[in-house]
Amino acid sequence: MLLSALIITGLIFFSGFSIGYSFNTGKLSAVESDIATVTKDIQNFQLEFLMFDVLGEKSACPLLSSTLSEINVRSEKIGNRLEMLSPDSEIKDYASYVEMKKEYSRVLLGYWLLANKFKKACESNISTVVYFYANQCDSCGDQSFVLTYLKKRYNETLLIFALDADLEEPSVRTIKEFYNVTVYPTLVIDGAIMAGFQKTEVLESQLQK
Amino acid sequence: MALPIYLIAVNYAAWFVFMFISVVWILVMLDNRGKKDKTRTFEKLPAVSILIPAYNEGETIGRTIESVLSLDYPKRLLDVIVINDCSTDKTKEIAEKFAMQGKIRLLNNTPNRGKAYSLNRALKFCRGEFVACIDADSIVERAIIKKLLSCFHEDRVAAVAPALKVWKSDSWLEKVQTAEYVLNTFLRKILSFMDAIHVTPGVFSMYRLNALKEADGFDENNLTEDMDMALKLHDRGYIIETNLNAMSYTMCPGKWRELYRQRLRWYRGGIANTVKYKHMLFNPAYGNLGMFFLPVSLISVLSIMAVFSSIVYTYFDSLSSFAWRLSLINFDFLFLIGKMDLSIVLEEMMTTSLVLGAVGMALGGCLLWASSRSVNSSLKSNAGGYLLYLLLFPFIMMVFWTSAIMHEIAGARKRW
Repeated sequence: MLLSALIITGLIFFSGFSIGYSFNTGKLSAVESDIATVTKDIQNFQLEFLMFDVLGEKSACPLLSSTLSEINVRSEKIGNRLEMLSPDSEIKDYASYVEMKKEYSRVLLGYWLLANKFKKACESNISTVVYFYANQCDSCGDQSFVLTYLKKRYNETLLIFALDADLEEPSVRTIKEFYNVTVYPTLVIDGAIMAGFQKTEVLESQLQK
Repeated sequence: MALPIYLIAVNYAAWFVFMFISVVWILVMLDNRGKKDKTRTFEKLPAVSILIPAYNEGETIGRTIESVLSLDYPKRLLDVIVINDCSTDKTKEIAEKFAMQGKIRLLNNTPNRGKAYSLNRALKFCRGEFVACIDADSIVERAIIKKLLSCFHEDRVAAVAPALKVWKSDSWLEKVQTAEYVLNTFLRKILSFMDAIHVTPGVFSMYRLNALKEADGFDENNLTEDMDMALKLHDRGYIIETNLNAMSYTMCPGKWRELYRQRLRWYRGGIANTVKYKHMLFNPAYGNLGMFFLPVSLISVLSIMAVFSSIVYTYFDSLSSFAWRLSLINFDFLFLIGKMDLSIVLEEMMTTSLVLGAVGMALGGCLLWASSRSVNSSLKSNAGGYLLYLLLFPFIMMVFWTSAIMHEIAGARKRW
């Protein structure tokens, strides 16, 4: 009798695990389709940039600005979903998860480059922040919290690009080397490098500039 | 805050253990549905002694004695002994009034010697073939003696436990305990099917006097002498039964401090007795008690500790870091709340842990429902109590268990 109870419990447990796993697989596919959509948005953005020369600043910039907002919203959603899947207690297809993170980093980098271009071309007052974080980083949790808060405060005028420096992704590595990132967290705010944890007040004064 | 891998594994293992235990209960319950209890009838009703040990129970002992005196049993076969354990309140006066009317016999201890000693002392004066012990704050239904006697279906049955209910439940704390007592009574019945009852509650459990004497009476050094007696009887090859129709009513702690003291004593006693009877663990000679109940009780306590420490690790680590982080943003807490995205929060909840937790709760809910039906008390009448018991009580008990374990390891002084 004890044996059958053990088997039954094993079955229940296993089905619980399977349900959890299928939840997470669903989340991963949602992320995948979001990434596909946002990639298209970025392509639109590049197209609209090309129209810049034809349409001129006055017409092109509002269009570019609104596309940028859409990209902003979608990219945030992807970031949140990936964040939710990150704890080790979530049973998931780990290889797919890592692949998705890499794809997302590439999307972020494209988004960042275009945002910088837009900032110059349309003389916009947006600020871009590249945020390098890593696994073995004590104050990264605090830094993420501060950045999330600032993002909510400044909304669309503050664009944050969080890159997992542990990912073995060539484009991420290239940017890391370019900015000579050795400690974590490191922030690059509108091109200015700030290594180590930065408090809210420090960040805000940097953003005012 | 992410949990390290080993704590995650431990959490999942703990859930597995709890689920396993619930599945066993449910299987045993289904297996024994509709089975008739073995009973006996006495051609000649036997003599029964009732022992009422009391220490400062002046407020309730009168009611207990009245309840015992109005039992539906021939007076000439009933013998009530009150043991006043050096009380400092009105207990002695109240008992003496009954003694002077010749309704009870009164023994007085000096100094205070404890419940087990009082019972053992009274055993020497017992005239009955059967003995029942009742706490001085409890009452029993009128037909209880006959109901309990009917369960002594063979000589090997040394003890029969009644159904234990809470007498008054006004506060939420008492309502939660009511749910717990109902579940425990039900589990005792399931354990009886497995011949693995591990406690004969001190509220009107009935024993064969010979068995008690052969077992050298109650252990005076034990925090939970009722659990010790049950295990001792098992050790000597006796059977313990329970009758769900035999109602006894007790008072449960109404204040947190009292509850804590009671649980500390129970859990410390549980640990000490498990250690004392460790020869039963995983020993096939002791049937389901040794192979299942005692080991899984031990494992679940360890699991509780593990889950508790991981909860502390997660939440206190997060709480302190959350407080620190709030300081980083100058405590602009309201702003944060205002900008929270509900859909993300909901999505975040659909996790593996939640699924397993939900399954665990469902199993627990099944058991609670079955137990309420078995003692004829509807779930609805105490819905809040059952809900709180399922969701909140385990966490509080985790704290008490932790304290009990630390006390036992530290070899702290015993307090009754």
